[in-house]
Amino acid sequence: MLYLGIDVGSVSTNLVLLDHRLNVVEKHYIRTRGNPIKAVQESFRLLEGRYGDEDVAACGTTGSGRQIASVLVGADVVKNEITAHAVAALELDRDVKTIIEIGGQDSKIILLRNGVVSDFAMNTVCAAGTGSFLDRQAERLGIPIEEFGDCALKADIPVRIAGRCAVFAESDMIHKQQMGYNQSDIIMGLCEALVRNYLNNVGKGKDIRPKVFFQGGVAANKSMKIAFERALGFEVTVPEHHKMMGSIGAAILARDAVRKNGHTRFKGFSLAEKRFESKGFECEGCSNHCEVAKIHENGMEIGCFGDRCGKWSNRTMVSHSMAGSL
Amino acid sequence: MKIGIPRGLLYDQFYPFFTRFFTELGAELVISPQTNKSILDMGAQYCVDEACLPVKVFHGHVCYLKDKCDLLFIPRIMQLYKDEYICPKFCGLPEMVINSIPGLPEVISHPFSATSMARLRQWAMSSASRITSNRRRVSAALDAAANEQSHFKTGYDDQGYPIKVALAGHPYNIYDTFINMNIKKKLNQLGVGVITEECVDEDDMEPEVQSLFKKPFWTFARKTYGFIAALAANQQVQGIVYISSFACGIDSVIIELVGDRTGEFPMLVLKIDEHTGEAGVDTRIEAFADMLERSVKLESNHSPHGQCVYRCKSPV
Repeated sequence: MLYLGIDVGSVSTNLVLLDHRLNVVEKHYIRTRGNPIKAVQESFRLLEGRYGDEDVAACGTTGSGRQIASVLVGADVVKNEITAHAVAALELDRDVKTIIEIGGQDSKIILLRNGVVSDFAMNTVCAAGTGSFLDRQAERLGIPIEEFGDCALKADIPVRIAGRCAVFAESDMIHKQQMGYNQSDIIMGLCEALVRNYLNNVGKGKDIRPKVFFQGGVAANKSMKIAFERALGFEVTVPEHHKMMGSIGAAILARDAVRKNGHTRFKGFSLAEKRFESKGFECEGCSNHCEVAKIHENGMEIGCFGDRCGKWSNRTMVSHSMAGSL
Repeated sequence: MKIGIPRGLLYDQFYPFFTRFFTELGAELVISPQTNKSILDMGAQYCVDEACLPVKVFHGHVCYLKDKCDLLFIPRIMQLYKDEYICPKFCGLPEMVINSIPGLPEVISHPFSATSMARLRQWAMSSASRITSNRRRVSAALDAAANEQSHFKTGYDDQGYPIKVALAGHPYNIYDTFINMNIKKKLNQLGVGVITEECVDEDDMEPEVQSLFKKPFWTFARKTYGFIAALAANQQVQGIVYISSFACGIDSVIIELVGDRTGEFPMLVLKIDEHTGEAGVDTRIEAFADMLERSVKLESNHSPHGQCVYRCKSPV
């Protein structure tokens, strides 16, 4: 009896299996690399053979690629990331008051009161200060992203970096490098700039109360945690499965959905071996000329995305809009 | 004589007036279609970079029309009410368009003030001069147009949804379903009904506006503030969804004013720009609808008189 949760994000695709007590029995973190279908298949390949299809009692998807993933796997619930993160955090600790979540493309703040989301905010149209920016800077400095945070821990005096915009931050960093500042001081300065930016932008006007959970891929960066603690003046908790919180939430929501509906729609692990093809075309139906993506499974169309009017997506939407109506 | 009318900015609010006026004068009208991708692309290509999305979209509508008409009508809307003004971009709209888009036909762009019938008559006489010199005909056209506009009703007031929110923002952001990614439909599909400011009595909004430390300078600010403050005060809706164009100066003031007045009342601010990917908007409104749904459940469980303490502001 396992619950499967899949979080298809911009940078990573995360998959968890929870047992009936909601303990994590399996977790996989795979880079999406712009191909959500492949990423989901790749993660299924890691489970195929070790688990049977009948072991999965419920399956849920979340993340910006949640719709496409739900069509592939047959999800019982398709939920936005905010609700998913909140559900996962509350399951772990009922006393969480604030969630700071920084992913690849998004940063969010979620305020929880009385066990429900009472307020949230996300970054603006611009993705400065999120994981993809840190990724890019690590790459530019030639440091593996996994070591990026540790590298900053050696900093003595963090250098001040402009944090409003990724482009400003990058040019400021380059100037500081050229002036000969120590690399760890610059990286710590960058972390502090990102935190400052986060608190002034996403966290603006928010009543950030402890206990604070720091979730998402960027929480793996120890210097970001320290920078948050310095700025807020109290401890910030990074949960053990911080990268997986979205998928854990999706798995829990899926369990609830199946309890209500009585059965799962999960299509099985054989997905890994199927041949999926995505074909894009421009719909000529009206002047909008929507770019529609059509997904084929072994030559059979299973879903369409990207149209505004629903002419294409509604052909398959029936099943997952029901799945989403939890 | 073919007159081109761009379906942009305040067209949705004032088309009965403008179309009737020019039709009565005997002109043939060419109206651009609903905003679509090619209109947005042309607008973004020609418009100055710093302008907001609706102004860019307006440029796109002009591009669509420029080779299809003899005269182009670009309303220079200055004032709709006494002692109040419209966004400054409207006052300079004709210049912005004329200087950015090459090869335009002749443009009608006389200042439009709807503060009195005399002012309107001035506008009508100058605007009609290229079409007819018959003053009596112009006068009759104006009366017919004013009459047409006075019978025009617009706005949404959905009934029968479990949750209802105030859909606020400048009219062109609310009614242009291309630039707002059909937000009303998306909300309705999530079980959320909407109400817009046209469906709220001005008398209910007035006391809220009066309570401000000074009368707002901008018509948009007065109406939107009054609308949101009145609904939130009477708890007629469970939340506010505010559609705002990225970099809008007036919105930056209204949103702060509204936030001060409504405090913890749930509010979702959606910033729109040239993005056509809908995942960002979908996530925010789904999460907002989830939050309202769950808090409604919680309220009905716990405190029948309790204050609503949920507020959510998402600068997309």
